Amino acid sequence: MTPRSLLLVHPVTWTIWLGTTLLTVSLTRNPLYLLLLLFGLTLVAETERPTGRATPLDPIFFAVIAVSFGALFNAATIRYGDTVLVALPTSWWLIGGPITLEAIVFGMINGLVLSALVAGFGAFGTAMPISALISLVPRAFYPLAVVMSVAVTYVPLTIRLAGQVREAQQLRGHQVRVWRDGLPLLLPLLIGGLERALQLAEAMAARGFAADPPSNQVRMMLVGGLAALFAGLLLQFAWGQVVAASVTLLIGTALILWALRESGQQAPRTRYRVYRRGIRDMMVLLGAGLTLVAVLAPWPGRASLAYTPYPTLQLPIFEPLLAFALMGLLMPVAVRLGDRYLP
Amino acid sequence: MRDRLMSGMIIGLTTVIGIIAFLYPFWLPTVATGGSGGAHAGTAPVILTTLVGLSFLALLLEAQRAAEHALLVALLGVLVAMNAILRFIDVALPLPGGFSPIFVLIILTGYLFGGSFGFLMGTMTLLVSALITGGVGPWLPFQMLTAGWVGLTAPLCRGPIQLLGGVGRYREVLVLAVFGAIWGFGYGAIMNLWFWPFASGPVEQYWQTGIGFIETVRRYLTFYLATSLLWDVAGSLGNGLLIAAFGGPILRVLRRFQRRFAFVLRHAPLSEGL
Repeated sequence: MTPRSLLLVHPVTWTIWLGTTLLTVSLTRNPLYLLLLLFGLTLVAETERPTGRATPLDPIFFAVIAVSFGALFNAATIRYGDTVLVALPTSWWLIGGPITLEAIVFGMINGLVLSALVAGFGAFGTAMPISALISLVPRAFYPLAVVMSVAVTYVPLTIRLAGQVREAQQLRGHQVRVWRDGLPLLLPLLIGGLERALQLAEAMAARGFAADPPSNQVRMMLVGGLAALFAGLLLQFAWGQVVAASVTLLIGTALILWALRESGQQAPRTRYRVYRRGIRDMMVLLGAGLTLVAVLAPWPGRASLAYTPYPTLQLPIFEPLLAFALMGLLMPVAVRLGDRYLP
Repeated sequence: MRDRLMSGMIIGLTTVIGIIAFLYPFWLPTVATGGSGGAHAGTAPVILTTLVGLSFLALLLEAQRAAEHALLVALLGVLVAMNAILRFIDVALPLPGGFSPIFVLIILTGYLFGGSFGFLMGTMTLLVSALITGGVGPWLPFQMLTAGWVGLTAPLCRGPIQLLGGVGRYREVLVLAVFGAIWGFGYGAIMNLWFWPFASGPVEQYWQTGIGFIETVRRYLTFYLATSLLWDVAGSLGNGLLIAAFGGPILRVLRRFQRRFAFVLRHAPLSEGL
């Protein structure tokens, strides 16, 4: 846990770290590496968690449930594998037949993959304050970033208003017995919220808020880009014209990205909090880069990422060098500990 | 006219690309066995996911035209906050199956304020609620897109409602309740499709390249019946019942405020200002 909520690494660096993590987990089926990643990512989340803030979803707890469910589901539905543990009557719908050890292990690996993905997102979500996440919204979508800011700000206010409405209704003798009794709570909450929206809108208008709609030129580019994507899809999958399809898809992608850029140019951005890149970002990027090279580069150790328990269960291969490279994703822990204990 | 045409083209093209991307397991095997594109079956998920992402961005840019005034931005922000709290309740309390109270406001606002507003309501609700509940995951973009579609299609109820006697009658709420119930199944069925082609399990329930259209549909139905039907029944019933019970009063409140949020820009002649 960290004693304060402080972002030590630039939001873009965190986003690159998340992308590397997701790619690494997606390419890994070896349960030993998956366990290593799960514990490592949990450690990142725990060191980034500000003091006093509860974990929204404990990755280890989630892993216990996901692995158990995956094992049970696979054992009950898969009829493949050499090591038969027990044979259920084949007349039992869906679950009848031999239950194999290989199917159980395969289900557990599925659960581990899902848990590691959730742990990666959990670490990212814990580390990034909502303000930093909003700062990542592209300029083209700044009205939506304002909507997001308003919504995030109004969530605690709305919860407080809900408590006040409930107390007021209780004083008038209202009791919630069935779900239909929720209406006298819901309507005042809705009306109060809409009244506050009007006040907020007046305040925003008084401060000069106005969002420029995308120009017709930008919208034409969007139409052209989408039409090119659609044509590319048909060329690629219906008519098998790979070269023409690739060119059309690239043109469509470029047009849409260009439209987003043009739309963003209309919206000047000022920042309340400026995040700067530094040596810590370099460390996290180097760690993520090491992992990325290890899982993508063609070298003999990379083969140990793949693993299947079928047809006969065998121990997975453990390559210490690859395991070391995967630990590159733990660099945020080193950065946080360095900030805490080094002068 | 030109404005509506461009808007219609953007929404139409995005929807078609989205439908193709979500349903590609159903038609790609047919193409593959036909010999024109089978080699690309492996790259199809990556290409289609990228295209869905780009289409989603384009649709978001078009839909945010509904939030160009301070009044609408504030309205959207506050309604999204309320809906995000409902999602928080949904996450915190063990509600049955796929039952989630968030779709009531998405459908009602989409129906009243228009498809673009409904689309933004759906996408932003899922995004903000994921941020406050720690629910950010690989499923989030698909949830946002599908919930956006729920709001985007809500104005389709206007036609049947007009046919059944117009607004303000109980039939209006009935049509919206049926619409919500249908989307209870639709949301679940679409959300299955983002992971179904990649999932593994019993052969008779999962997709494999080159199995053909009929076999794909048969396997998906088996998978849906075995894993999702009961879950979605709860979601469908929940949507229908909530709209039937609360839809009328909420619509009356929203209509009252709709007049206060509506405004028309009139450019006064220069001589009047002087």
